[in-house]
Amino acid sequence: MAKDVENITIRIAEIMINELKLEDVTPETFDPEIDLVDEVGIDSMDLATVALVVQDEYGIRIDEDDYQKLTTIRFIAEYVQERM
Amino acid sequence: MKTVSSLLDEEWHKRYKSISKLNIRSSIYDVTNRCNLRCKGCFFFSSDEDKAAKEEMDLQKWEVFIDREKERGVNLAILIGGEPTICLDRVEAFYSRLPTFCATNGLIKVPRDRFPHLMVGISLWGDEEDEKLLRGKDTFPISSRNYEGDSHAYYLYTITPKQIGKTERIVNRIRDVGLKIHMQLLSNDEGVEEFFWTHEELKDIRAEMDDMLDKYPDVVISSNYYHEVITTGKMFDRQFGWGECPSVTEPIDRRDPRPKHLMGFIRWASDLKTMHRCCTSETRDCSTCKDGAAHMSWVMVNKRAHIRSEQDLKNWIEVYEMFAKLYQFIPW
Repeated sequence: MAKDVENITIRIAEIMINELKLEDVTPETFDPEIDLVDEVGIDSMDLATVALVVQDEYGIRIDEDDYQKLTTIRFIAEYVQERM
Repeated sequence: MKTVSSLLDEEWHKRYKSISKLNIRSSIYDVTNRCNLRCKGCFFFSSDEDKAAKEEMDLQKWEVFIDREKERGVNLAILIGGEPTICLDRVEAFYSRLPTFCATNGLIKVPRDRFPHLMVGISLWGDEEDEKLLRGKDTFPISSRNYEGDSHAYYLYTITPKQIGKTERIVNRIRDVGLKIHMQLLSNDEGVEEFFWTHEELKDIRAEMDDMLDKYPDVVISSNYYHEVITTGKMFDRQFGWGECPSVTEPIDRRDPRPKHLMGFIRWASDLKTMHRCCTSETRDCSTCKDGAAHMSWVMVNKRAHIRSEQDLKNWIEVYEMFAKLYQFIPW
């Protein structure tokens, strides 16, 4: 289970870097605990972009009302894992 | 990876945090197709938007519509027209349900016993001469009498090319009636002769806007970066225009690639069914559009692009704060 979340965390980081064209960071160096809104500057449109890819890849639905809870990569990974 | 806290000191970080989660979701509403003025260069009438849809007259339908807008996630209703104050019942329907901003020419006073905290933006085009030439009358004596000392009103001063060297007098007139001022630039939608901006004039007016902000920081609600973006049309190496504009009605936005834009933004016509293309008129040439809110929003939706240096991020914060003040999300 822990390994699953770890793998999903790395994959979410990768999706985020690719989709949002984030620079100077790799999936391995992306701090999973960093606040995406307050620190990275991610906004709801960015989250919607990432959510689309995540939904397709993991076959889950991410409710727009839940965006405010998805403040770190770790939270997103746990959210995905719970719904798989 | 650059992060917000790595670029800002404690004070700026605090300012950033007070706005970073505001999540403003605005939409624009034509409250009515009617107006008590007919201004040369008004995008609404010059593009026949007043004829685009038949005005909904049933107040109950407005109320149901606004409830639906609230459910859709809108948390800022920007009322335009026509002149919204002609239909105060409709304004009240918004005001009692949503944070609301009302753009007006100021000729009709919004009764404060009915609308104690409604933010009102009063339009003023240039000086007395410009007002008479473009709007048919000088509205300032009436609007300033209606709103003198009102803490929930400010002047939306549309600067024309003829105002270069004259803005300080207008700022002082507005300060003298106890109101604040936000500056924007005329787009000249009807091609009135001598009201087109030249490159040199835009350079000059940018310097003058900066000067007004420096001299009257308690009166002028603005930012130097906003002045730069609106006068040059540039943000970094990007040029404002159709491909970049954030204020396009989302459900009918077919741009590909789609730029960063205002989430859920719609500009509704007064039939409550028709959607206009964007926050101004469909006939406007986007490459010369000087719409202040569109340029502010352009900066605001591009937050990550500004997390690249301390100065860039501070510029972004100042523009966001300006917007949040103008629409009462944070105090003056």
